[in-house]
Amino acid sequence: MTGFQADLAQQRLEVAHLSKAFGPTRALRDVRLQVAPGELHGLVGQNGCGKSTLVKILTGVYTPDPGADIAVDGRRLALPIRPMDQRQAGVAVVHQNLGLVDDRTVWENVRLGRYQAGRVSRRINRREEQRAVEDVLARLGRPLDVRQPVAELSAEDRAAVAIARAMQDHQPGGGLIIFDESTRALGRAARSRFFELIRSLIDGGASVLLISHQLEEIVEATDRVTVLRDGAVVEGGLTTSGVDEAALTRMMLGRHLVTHGRVDSHARDSVVASVRGLAAGPVTGLDLDVKRGEIVGLTGLIGSGFQEAAEALGGARRASAGRLTADGRVIALDRRRGSTEEFIAAGVAFVPERRLDQGLAAGLSLADNLTLPRVRRRGGRLRIGAGWQAEETAAMITKLDIRPPHPDAPVGTLSGGNQQKVLLAKWLAGAPNLLVLHEPTQAVDVGARHGLIDAIREAARDGCAVLIASVDAADLAVLCDRVLVFRDGLVAAELTGDLDQDGIVHATFGVAAADEAERTG
Amino acid sequence: MDAARQDDRAVSTRTPEPDPPRRSWLGGRARHYAASYAVIAVWLAMIAVYAAAEPGLFFRVPTFQTIFSSQQPLVFMAMALLCTITVGEFVDLSVPAVFGTSATILPVLVVNHHWGVWPASLVAVLAATAVGVVNGVLVVVAGVNTIVVTLGMGTLLEGISLWMSDLNTISGLPASFGKIALTPVGGLPISFYYGVILVAGFAYLMAFTPLGRHMRFVGASREVSRLSGVRVNRIRFGSFVAAAALSGVGAVIAVAALGGYNPTTSDSYLLPVFAAVFLGTAIIEPGRFNPVGTFIGIYFLETGILGLQLLGLQAWVSPVFYGGVLVVAVTLSTLLRRRTA
Repeated sequence: MTGFQADLAQQRLEVAHLSKAFGPTRALRDVRLQVAPGELHGLVGQNGCGKSTLVKILTGVYTPDPGADIAVDGRRLALPIRPMDQRQAGVAVVHQNLGLVDDRTVWENVRLGRYQAGRVSRRINRREEQRAVEDVLARLGRPLDVRQPVAELSAEDRAAVAIARAMQDHQPGGGLIIFDESTRALGRAARSRFFELIRSLIDGGASVLLISHQLEEIVEATDRVTVLRDGAVVEGGLTTSGVDEAALTRMMLGRHLVTHGRVDSHARDSVVASVRGLAAGPVTGLDLDVKRGEIVGLTGLIGSGFQEAAEALGGARRASAGRLTADGRVIALDRRRGSTEEFIAAGVAFVPERRLDQGLAAGLSLADNLTLPRVRRRGGRLRIGAGWQAEETAAMITKLDIRPPHPDAPVGTLSGGNQQKVLLAKWLAGAPNLLVLHEPTQAVDVGARHGLIDAIREAARDGCAVLIASVDAADLAVLCDRVLVFRDGLVAAELTGDLDQDGIVHATFGVAAADEAERTG
Repeated sequence: MDAARQDDRAVSTRTPEPDPPRRSWLGGRARHYAASYAVIAVWLAMIAVYAAAEPGLFFRVPTFQTIFSSQQPLVFMAMALLCTITVGEFVDLSVPAVFGTSATILPVLVVNHHWGVWPASLVAVLAATAVGVVNGVLVVVAGVNTIVVTLGMGTLLEGISLWMSDLNTISGLPASFGKIALTPVGGLPISFYYGVILVAGFAYLMAFTPLGRHMRFVGASREVSRLSGVRVNRIRFGSFVAAAALSGVGAVIAVAALGGYNPTTSDSYLLPVFAAVFLGTAIIEPGRFNPVGTFIGIYFLETGILGLQLLGLQAWVSPVFYGGVLVVAVTLSTLLRRRTA
């Protein structure tokens, strides 16, 4: 307790003895976190390590267990933290999903919760509000039309709006801004601008707590880093210079990790699936042949069409034209259909991007979710049969190391990485001919990512053709035999041979980065 | 700053304690069972209280015969409602009106138009099924809001029933027809066992068949189901048709037992049906709509009301009890679901 008091004066944020239990599960155990004034502090850990719980306590969503101390600039906050106290203390949060209301304008989003009403009319003074927002955006170096609906903005501009909202009450010389996975939506070029922005905040005296899965940016940008594992701090305030990504990974996992290198292609000569004349969203006239065991990446900027192509091939989106031939069956991609039965019958499996909207039912059990596509095919009409379900579930839990390994646990209680494993297992268990993956490793931790990558490779080795639609160049580089880079709905480049991350990023952003330079330069 | 660094070192060199044993799962299990059977315990406690309060009146065989022999219409309607609720269609308000329409058609055809009871029964069930098809087309195909469609349909049907019956109670069905519902088996009318069979069949469907599994998933997420090869709209449509057909069959059995029907009584079923179905989410499978829980819920409610009536309370007791239980049950199941989620 004396240590806590002594530290109060010098820390911007001081968290001590922070524990949180959900029923019998202990999400956080005696966590201590110190962020100094003018510091860029990183917070890393695997999915399920307690990062989100920590943020939710700092934003007052959860009440910590008794005994916790949270102080800002030496002033202790009442727990649970009330939004007004948090704002007064100068703490702001930019959330993972940015928390924007899409169909409202920029200024409405930024000022939400702060509208000043006219004294007599009780009407919101639009002009004033808009000017205030323009000021904040100007300070950020991102002048936007504040009357534009947020939905029409690019990912970077959306992030800027969210940051503007967090920053607007920010007083120079103080304050703490917490970025909770907010860089995910940003492209590489935008990301470097984002860090310039953060630097300028810090030069102005603010502190920043950066929570991120991107170890690279943690290593490059932060001053110190705190590592969480299983709800406890394993490294508190470690100086980042001299730490590399591998070391961070070891701390997060508590074990050495074999890094993925390229492995030989499993591609064979016979074509398993072919696409002809696909048109969906911005995509026009896509032809594509995928061989047995081949892994093909689809990438590009958001809006370039690679996502729409994957969704159409997986049956999630109705294409305007095109057909897919797989396993000797021809599927008309422009047909309106009630379910993806036809795709499944042809051995086409689709792992969607939004796992809890499209992939898994959170309230139902792991086993039920995993076996769903096969209950009609493998089960009798009057009885699904418990045997094969238990076998298949147990085999997949072992294969992908799904934790906790309880078939009856509701999927919603699993961590993000484990949910993603269940989602992949759901389709791998059906031994597909063509596996279409949309962002298969998004928002999962390092350990889960390795498990997923191994499983995808194994599927390819067994002869499954794989299509991966992703913006993650690192994934594409280690997995793919070739990568198709989309631009404006067309395949602008096809990368083959020895793929590396930089090459993919360059092909994806090459033109876009030049545009950006022109506009701002 | 140096002091702080020292401190950090101290924290970082401490090995984090190993995971506590997975008490969570077992603890969760125990609580799960407690939650599953809490309502049944309350039911037994309620019987004990009534038995103590009115030993001469309540705790007798005829009391229980009354409780178990009178609820067949409610069982059928509750299972009908469960069909659509399971697949995520909140909430089919037309169930009691469909029941009432079939229950009116049958005696009108037999008594006023001199049809045979069997053709009349068939027409009654077909009419109900046809209403289900219309509901399905409007909700699933046209995409109109379920509450609007079924509220409108329910009110419309009630009006039609009153017109068909000329606002009268129609009675005078042949006594022989009553046998299909009233034949005693083990001290209870056979209609009780129809309910048991229906509930058992529904429970089997949900637990063991591909159709039941698909219904559960459609109720949980249409998009997840669609992308898993489940014919979502077919299942939703089928649920509306099945719900209506069940209401129709239930009506035929009920009319056989009563020997006629008073069409103005239909809407008095609405609240009990919902109360039972929602109370069911607090029984057996907490936080989930389930047939066995609903079945138990029905008899729980009837026990409560009959006991209160025997204690001398008047007719106002049943709306108070049904309404109160509905609110309490929904609150309970919401809290249970929050805990499991």
